[in-house]
Amino acid sequence: MTRREFLRQSALGAAATFTLADLLDAQAGPGFRLVDVTKSAGLTFRHNNGAYGGTFLPETLGSGCAFIDYDADGWQDILLVNGMDWPGHRRQRSTLALYHNNRNGTFTDVTKAAGLDVELYGMGVAVGDYDNDGFPDVFITCVGQSRLFRNTGKGTFVDVTRTAGLGGRSAFSTSAMWVDIDRDGHLDLFVCNYVRWSQERDVFCSLDGRQKSYCTPEAYRGETSWLFRNRGNGTFEDITASCGIFDSGSKALGVALLDDDGDGWPDLFVANDTEPNKLYRNQRNGKFKDVGLAAGVALSEDGKARAGMGVDAADFDNSGRTSLAVTNFEGEMLGLYRADQPGHFRDVATRAGVGLPSKNRLGFGCVFADLDLDGDQDLVVVNGHIDDTVRNIPGNVGYAQPPHLFLNDRGAFRDVAAQAGGGFEQPRVGRGLAVGDFDNDGDLDLLMTTNNGAAVLFRNDRTSSNRSLRFTLRGVESNRDAIGATVRVMHGGVTQTRMVRSGSSYLSQSELPVTFGVGARDVVERVVVTWPNGRTEEFTNVASGRAYVITEGQGFSR
Amino acid sequence: MASRVTSRAPTATLLLGLVVTLAVVLAYSVYISRQISGLRQLQTELTDRNRRDSLQLLRIQGDLNQLALAMRDMLDPDEAYPLAAWSSQFDRIRTDLDEALTQQASVAIARRTPEQSRYLATSITQFWDASSRLFELAANGHEVEARGQVRLSLQPRQAAISTTVARFLVQNNESEAETAQQVQEIYATVQRQVRWFLVASLAAIAATSVFLIRSNQRLFHQLAALSDERRELTQQLIDTRETTLREIARELHDEFGQILTAIGSMLGRAGRHAPEGSTLRGDLREIAEVAQDALDNVRGLSQSLHPSILEELGLGSTVDWYMTTVEKQLGLTVHYERDPAFPRVDDTTAIHVYRVLQEALTNVAKHAGVQEAWVRLRCEDGTLDLQIEDHGAGLGGPRPRQGLGLVTMRERAGLVGGTLGLDPRPGGGTLVHLRVPLRTQASA
Repeated sequence: MTRREFLRQSALGAAATFTLADLLDAQAGPGFRLVDVTKSAGLTFRHNNGAYGGTFLPETLGSGCAFIDYDADGWQDILLVNGMDWPGHRRQRSTLALYHNNRNGTFTDVTKAAGLDVELYGMGVAVGDYDNDGFPDVFITCVGQSRLFRNTGKGTFVDVTRTAGLGGRSAFSTSAMWVDIDRDGHLDLFVCNYVRWSQERDVFCSLDGRQKSYCTPEAYRGETSWLFRNRGNGTFEDITASCGIFDSGSKALGVALLDDDGDGWPDLFVANDTEPNKLYRNQRNGKFKDVGLAAGVALSEDGKARAGMGVDAADFDNSGRTSLAVTNFEGEMLGLYRADQPGHFRDVATRAGVGLPSKNRLGFGCVFADLDLDGDQDLVVVNGHIDDTVRNIPGNVGYAQPPHLFLNDRGAFRDVAAQAGGGFEQPRVGRGLAVGDFDNDGDLDLLMTTNNGAAVLFRNDRTSSNRSLRFTLRGVESNRDAIGATVRVMHGGVTQTRMVRSGSSYLSQSELPVTFGVGARDVVERVVVTWPNGRTEEFTNVASGRAYVITEGQGFSR
Repeated sequence: MASRVTSRAPTATLLLGLVVTLAVVLAYSVYISRQISGLRQLQTELTDRNRRDSLQLLRIQGDLNQLALAMRDMLDPDEAYPLAAWSSQFDRIRTDLDEALTQQASVAIARRTPEQSRYLATSITQFWDASSRLFELAANGHEVEARGQVRLSLQPRQAAISTTVARFLVQNNESEAETAQQVQEIYATVQRQVRWFLVASLAAIAATSVFLIRSNQRLFHQLAALSDERRELTQQLIDTRETTLREIARELHDEFGQILTAIGSMLGRAGRHAPEGSTLRGDLREIAEVAQDALDNVRGLSQSLHPSILEELGLGSTVDWYMTTVEKQLGLTVHYERDPAFPRVDDTTAIHVYRVLQEALTNVAKHAGVQEAWVRLRCEDGTLDLQIEDHGAGLGGPRPRQGLGLVTMRERAGLVGGTLGLDPRPGGGTLVHLRVPLRTQASA
């Protein structure tokens, strides 16, 4: 096909939503450049996995990161989760790290001032305003006792784990998610637990029979994930056993929120390592039913339970139905479960172009995000092996591995990580991944963590004329963060959908505002918001290139 | 001659061979179909069924293992959750186990006895009954007693069911091995028979081919002989006709011509002796004129039967002369072209070309429905080229009764080693095209 034919055919197919300028941009490059601003932004964080030679399983898996507007000033701050040295092997002090956004591209480390300079063997983070006071609170999953930090609204956090009823629990917790499962306006908490591991229960595994190596999860018993119902008075009730999600065989690493059957009630997808994934469908009575097998998301296409790590849910093909991306072990490739009908999925990873490129990578964090603002959500995946001795195996896939940046072109993906710039394609031992617009320029930036290494912040610099629409939702009757609300933007016969999500990716939390790419459009015809309690609001002729705050029942404010 | 050919035609033999071959192929197809259906039935009924049964048994085994792991966790003293928490996990496993059992029952292999299947179903039902009682105890706060039930009742039951399922799997393996043996035997038999059929088919094909080749050879020889005989006969007929016409023409010219010439001379002399102005003199002149007319007619008839000028002046001049008579004879206006340097050709070629020309123009006059024709006589590259063209009804028009005309024209062309073509003209009409390798009088 000649260039002229390509342009003509492409322009015909895309006439409804894309301009020729967009296509020419696509020919020239991905339409944006990533710039590594970690240093200039002042992020000095370094993850400590505590490894001293004991080869403990948790050392391989951490840790997560979050975009959080903790002071509610409209600028995304950054929270990074850290591990710590193992008892008896103390060498350094390592704590969580909270970076305040200075609104000029730089951040200030406010960990100590915020009261978060606590040592814990942290894994993941979930951000949500569980007490509806207007300031996001933080749940940190740990190896051992996980912690709930309440945001006082004065720039500080208070550990309320015990008073909230979440104390006295020790587990190998991984990802967590805030979700209002009963639509009562109060955020409930879902916590993934991996395996029954503790230093005392550590198992000796070895590749050569002499030297201890990291075990695979098969060596350990599973652990049920937890679901805590928010009573609305600052305390939580463990409803794991009564709600139907109790499963002592699960080895959960990732969790995503979606409305799988389109009934307006939140359903939960849990990625399990070497065990079938779970899709807990909300029965609207405080109970869930696992429909993973029937829905086609529990196993790979050949019926195998894969090593599910991270997960994200999105309507990546603008079909109105939510699909799922699940990262897996090397040799298993990414799972891209597209909903071919409500409540039923099919793994289209190979057909969509993300299967083969991801086959020899070990994926962790993954997010759907419209990085080029062309109207369909792209897919970013960070990779990295769990065992650094993999380097010693001939023909190995590497301990540090390059990430993927799959650009979405109407459901077909191509990896443009190498063209993204900023050293993005550099191999790293990637784990956590979050997306957020930290510089408020309308496009989405990326935050990545590495195991026992630095966190990396990539600023997105647009090179195309594409524009965005950003919405921050404030619930009134619904939960304050509007987690679980969906926003639909309609333009030129296309409907894009986003859900306000906690959870997703791996151990991480992306920003709560939702971002739509609308190409070169100045105005979109309709914006429809469905709040978590089912209420719907509609707005017409909304100008693009701006960020809006929508308050439930009160409309727009800028 | 025709009856001899008919008696040797291989049609009946070939038809018989065809019927026999079809019958054999049909019989063999039926046989092979039966063998394949038997094989398919064996595979479907035994191998596939066995495999599906094993898959479901493995699924059941997997569920039983999950139950075993769950019960292990239930008895873990460090476990934070009460036994009731496992209720939903048991329900999930039960749903899958029930489905697996239903599917397994529908594909259970034939050699499994109803008693065995019943035992498995009953054992599992009893397991669920026991687990229901256990969760009831747990729900009523009898945690210790419930844990005891796990140890004393559930775990042994699970182990027993697991053993039963394992035994079924072993049974399936044995059954599969036996089936594989049977399938191998069937394959070996079919393979042997296919080999024999192949040999027999090749032999039959070879014999039929030899028979066909020999029959065809005989037929071709007979046809060639018949064709030669027909051509010889036609040539003899044409020669006889030409000889006869030449004789008649000569007789007319020589005998009757001389007699009429003599009569004319005598009448002239007699008239000169009759008195001037007498009636007798007038009568004698009138008779002399009649005799002269008769003489002219005889000479004309003689020329038309066999133009003597053909031998005297050659083909070119003869055709020139003939063209002057055509309008009168046939009522045609002919546009005639001749190569001015047309050479003299041998008499045999000349008479046959002349006859073709006559026949072609006669056909135009009779059948073309037009009064115009074009005649071109040329000599190019040692080939005589005669074209007779008309713009009439053409070959696609109503066909006249099949005469000897066209056949004779072709035969005449063949006799002098030439070819005759009859081609339709694009705008209608016909082009008769005779090409003859030229043998000049000198070389002839």
